[in-house]
Amino acid sequence: MSGVVQGGMEFVWAAYGITFGALAIYGVTLITRLREQSSRNTSERSGQ
Amino acid sequence: MIAALRKEMLLQWRTRAQFLAVFVFGATSLLLFSFAVGPNAEDLRKFSAGFLWLGLLLSSTLTLSESFHAEMENRALEGLLLLPADPRVLYYGKAIANWLQLTFLGIALVPVMVVLYDAGTTRIPMLILVVALGAAGLSAPGTLYAAMTAQVKSKQTLLPLLLFPLIVPALLASVKSTSLLILGDPMGSLGSWLSLLGAFDAIYWALCGLLYGRVVEE
Amino acid sequence: MHETANNRYPVLPFILIGLGVLCLAFGSYFGLFVAPPERYMGEVQRIMYVHVPTAWNALLAITFAFVCAIVFLFNGNFKWDARLEAGIEVGVLLAFLLCVQGAIWAKPTWGVWWDWDPRLTTTAVLLFAFLGILALRKFVEDPVKRGIWSAVATIIAYVDVPIVYFSVRWWNSLHQLQSSPATVSSQFYIPLRVNAFGILFLMTGFIMLRARLASLRHVNEIAPPPMMAEEAGELA
Repeated sequence: MSGVVQGGMEFVWAAYGITFGALAIYGVTLITRLREQSSRNTSERSGQ
Repeated sequence: MIAALRKEMLLQWRTRAQFLAVFVFGATSLLLFSFAVGPNAEDLRKFSAGFLWLGLLLSSTLTLSESFHAEMENRALEGLLLLPADPRVLYYGKAIANWLQLTFLGIALVPVMVVLYDAGTTRIPMLILVVALGAAGLSAPGTLYAAMTAQVKSKQTLLPLLLFPLIVPALLASVKSTSLLILGDPMGSLGSWLSLLGAFDAIYWALCGLLYGRVVEE
Repeated sequence: MHETANNRYPVLPFILIGLGVLCLAFGSYFGLFVAPPERYMGEVQRIMYVHVPTAWNALLAITFAFVCAIVFLFNGNFKWDARLEAGIEVGVLLAFLLCVQGAIWAKPTWGVWWDWDPRLTTTAVLLFAFLGILALRKFVEDPVKRGIWSAVATIIAYVDVPIVYFSVRWWNSLHQLQSSPATVSSQFYIPLRVNAFGILFLMTGFIMLRARLASLRHVNEIAPPPMMAEEAGELA
């Protein structure tokens, strides 16, 4: 077959790496943002 | 409805100097686009339809974002909403006025395109129809988004940001129909592009009118 | 202290995220090492095991945002506004990843990063449309206006997605007819499905957490600033 794409594992690794890397980073920032916001909320309410 | 439209037309007539300025802006951008391609007449002719519509699109952000200027001054929009009129009527009045303005702008830009890119067509009524349908596709969501962004600080940035991705189908269909008119239509596909454009217009004229009441309510 | 921490961090999203990570680990291991290379696409086929699940879930997230927009317009409950924001943000993330994966897929397959495939192009348009809505949310300070406007914009943008898809497909079919990758046989189904559920769990967990964040911000927004509350207390 002449149409077979040879090799290309580096593209596969790049796709998986970027996807899971981005998802992981998003998860971490999400938890940090959530933690900051909830501490801000409680501190402002205790400020009463 | 007629009264709302008359009010809009009167407003536009008063700001006709602005229309002229926007036209000059559009013509300038058409001139600049040709520098992106180079002085090859064949290439310019090929891209002329795309340039015309991009020029009109860029100009439309100016007219649309200005279209609520009068209402924002003196908080006239709130006054209008107090009138015993359906907000939908106000929307359609505004949208039709914007549509007419953009159609005239598009028709005014065509001769500039013909001169600069040597891209003429003999099917003038057809071309006017394409311009009118394309302008309708721009003005229906454009008026709605202008109503939102007029009340926000950085309206000049937000309006194109919201509008440009949305009108991709209308832009595609308009560019395709115009270039079929200019370059010839061997496959006879003009009709199907026009019906795509018409469908886009119908969907957004209905949907935006429906949603407008929610956008301006207090 | 522990009780409030438990209150603030609901367990369910974290269970979902953990489940998603497990599924993704298993599915990707299977897809990368166990499943045989595809007949025509060779090793590059393995991108599909993450690409297709991302596509399904991106569409799902945006659809979720669309449903939230409609519900919010009808009942005006800010819970749905928070969910809308979460759905759009996670959907934008997935759409962005989809574009990146699509470009990575196109390069070894067709030799270009961007090949104007209708699905890829629609994803890009969708990405920019919803990024615009996120920007709109940043610029509007009044929570009521922000909620209604972004719900309206979400409905308008969502309706646009199929129109964009068909117009791009039509536009591009005049240049080239493109065959999609060969149909997936049974050996390829396992990583595809496991990863799809993995991303689904992960996405649901993220959306729940993000909606919680949006709700917290909203509570903070409508609460009177501490200075005013203090003054009110003194007056009383």
